[in-house]
Amino acid sequence: MRTLFKILGKALLILGGLYALLFAVFFFDLDGKALFYGVEPFLVKHYDKMQRRDPLKQTYETETPSYEYKV
Amino acid sequence: MKKIDWKKLKETDWKKAAKDFWYGKPHGERRLGDLYMPKTGLYKHREWRGVKDTFYYFHNIWLYNYAHMVMDIMKFGGPVTFAKGLWRYRWMGQTYLPVLHWFDRGLEGMRGEALRASAWHYRAMVCVSINQFMNMFKADANLHGGQHNDAWKHTFAHKETVWGGVFYPWQDRFTNVPMEMIPYFVTCHVNNHTVLNYIDAVQSIGLPGDPCPMCQAEAGLFVLDDMPDYAPLVVTTNEACDGSVASTAIQDWYLDIPLFALPQPMQFDDPLVQEHCANEIRELWKFIEDQTGVPFDWGQLKKRLERQNELQRFEWEKWDVAANTNHYPINGVAQALYRIYQSQYGDHYIWHDTDKRVRKILEKCVEQKIDTFPKTRHRVIAWSCAPLYYSHWCTWAYNCWGLNCIINMDSLMFDMTIRTDNLDDCVMDMALYHEWAPMRRMAVGGMHHIFELWENMEKFHCDMVMMYDQLQCKGMQGVHGLFEDEFRARNIHAIWMPHALPDKRTVSRSEIRTIINDYMTTVMQEEPLDPSLLDFDDSESW
Repeated sequence: MRTLFKILGKALLILGGLYALLFAVFFFDLDGKALFYGVEPFLVKHYDKMQRRDPLKQTYETETPSYEYKV
Repeated sequence: MKKIDWKKLKETDWKKAAKDFWYGKPHGERRLGDLYMPKTGLYKHREWRGVKDTFYYFHNIWLYNYAHMVMDIMKFGGPVTFAKGLWRYRWMGQTYLPVLHWFDRGLEGMRGEALRASAWHYRAMVCVSINQFMNMFKADANLHGGQHNDAWKHTFAHKETVWGGVFYPWQDRFTNVPMEMIPYFVTCHVNNHTVLNYIDAVQSIGLPGDPCPMCQAEAGLFVLDDMPDYAPLVVTTNEACDGSVASTAIQDWYLDIPLFALPQPMQFDDPLVQEHCANEIRELWKFIEDQTGVPFDWGQLKKRLERQNELQRFEWEKWDVAANTNHYPINGVAQALYRIYQSQYGDHYIWHDTDKRVRKILEKCVEQKIDTFPKTRHRVIAWSCAPLYYSHWCTWAYNCWGLNCIINMDSLMFDMTIRTDNLDDCVMDMALYHEWAPMRRMAVGGMHHIFELWENMEKFHCDMVMMYDQLQCKGMQGVHGLFEDEFRARNIHAIWMPHALPDKRTVSRSEIRTIINDYMTTVMQEEPLDPSLLDFDDSESW
């Protein structure tokens, strides 16, 4: 029984700590700050460096359209 | 380390401080502007709204939405597909990670039922957005070694201004995903940095800077090769205007897949035009049958339209409460974005779930006669096309000046249900719905429709107009003077809000606020409710 209470106590402590940590992240806008100063600049650098196909190099072919209704 | 100011502590009214802690500060004392960090719009700390509302925000908005975003990703395709898409597409990675800040900006200062109902609208938009980009990524040949998989074969691409309802007959076997709704439209609201890349890209190949920036950005996505290859066919349209036709030329060039152009007539009051437009829709269905080999399904169409009609009927109930009472619990930005998203994209299960939740809140507000926006000084109607990078101006305007944006033009566009008792009437109604699209019916749909403003102003009991002035919209610029004359003749308070749709560089958020501040102080001779919001620098903010 005592072991069970100990485990429960520890679980509650961990959950309580996690809850407090999440609330701190929320309240002090730490998610926003991490995304603004860390994640976004990192991703922007990655996208800027990406090799991209130049779509303007492909030929533009059109077929003669039909304007008659076929309903 | 900061010294403790004992004198200040001695003078503190602890009873008042305890009350503020428990209930949150009253509107006039909040000083929301002091929470911002300079330039970035990040918060030194998020707002303390009193114990109940702060923890509602923490549990039911912040935690709930982060958790549900993960769940949506798992449900709609899984983390690997998501990660591949995030790594490949700028509009994905740069835009959608800070989505909770989008909530923060739109819900600043909200309390009680207004906070709850507005947040549910945001949740629905996030869910549909995840659903759409995951559908794109699942089918995307760019993420699957150039292979056209089964998902690719069962997806339709279309311009975001084509109403999703025209694809209902195939919706049990195919998915439709608008090309620009997620890569362009929603990005501007969530993180307005992203779109600038696309505008610059299309100008870099020679386009002058003055055409509609929406069409510029939509074309720029293709110039930068930032569009998934996710469908075997594409449906385009001329909505909002010839700018869209021009962007379609680039899209057609890049996509190089079978294309059907489904125009939306501009002068749609002519009955002959109705017939023409209905035939166009039937012709589209024939095109899809030819391309896919899967026949049109009237049962599916009927079923989906009836579900869509349900959404419209609830929207009318919401408008009724908004127009005739002060118990409407949805703020201006949530109302506008949810409505345009839902009515343009079409039926989706999350709209129904959301409407159920919002109905409960709405009924509670009406039954208990809750004054949801108690500091309202003016009931505002917003007209014309809104600045996408500052759609939450109405949250600021309420907090700063008590300007409560009750309704807006885009919400009133698709204002109809569709008959489902027989196909002929149904297609005629679909044609009309299709023609009543955003930026078509009341922006370029003729004087009678543009001036629907006056009857809606009366209907919603508004005493002020926020007149959006999209500087690069040649259509609405052409009627600027007529509106000026009418405002004078009708003695209506109207504030012109210049903007360039997605491009914050032309008119900044700060300039928009200055224009409203100037009008409120000089013309209305009013004092701000929260002076800390008058002037702050959010030039680098999302």
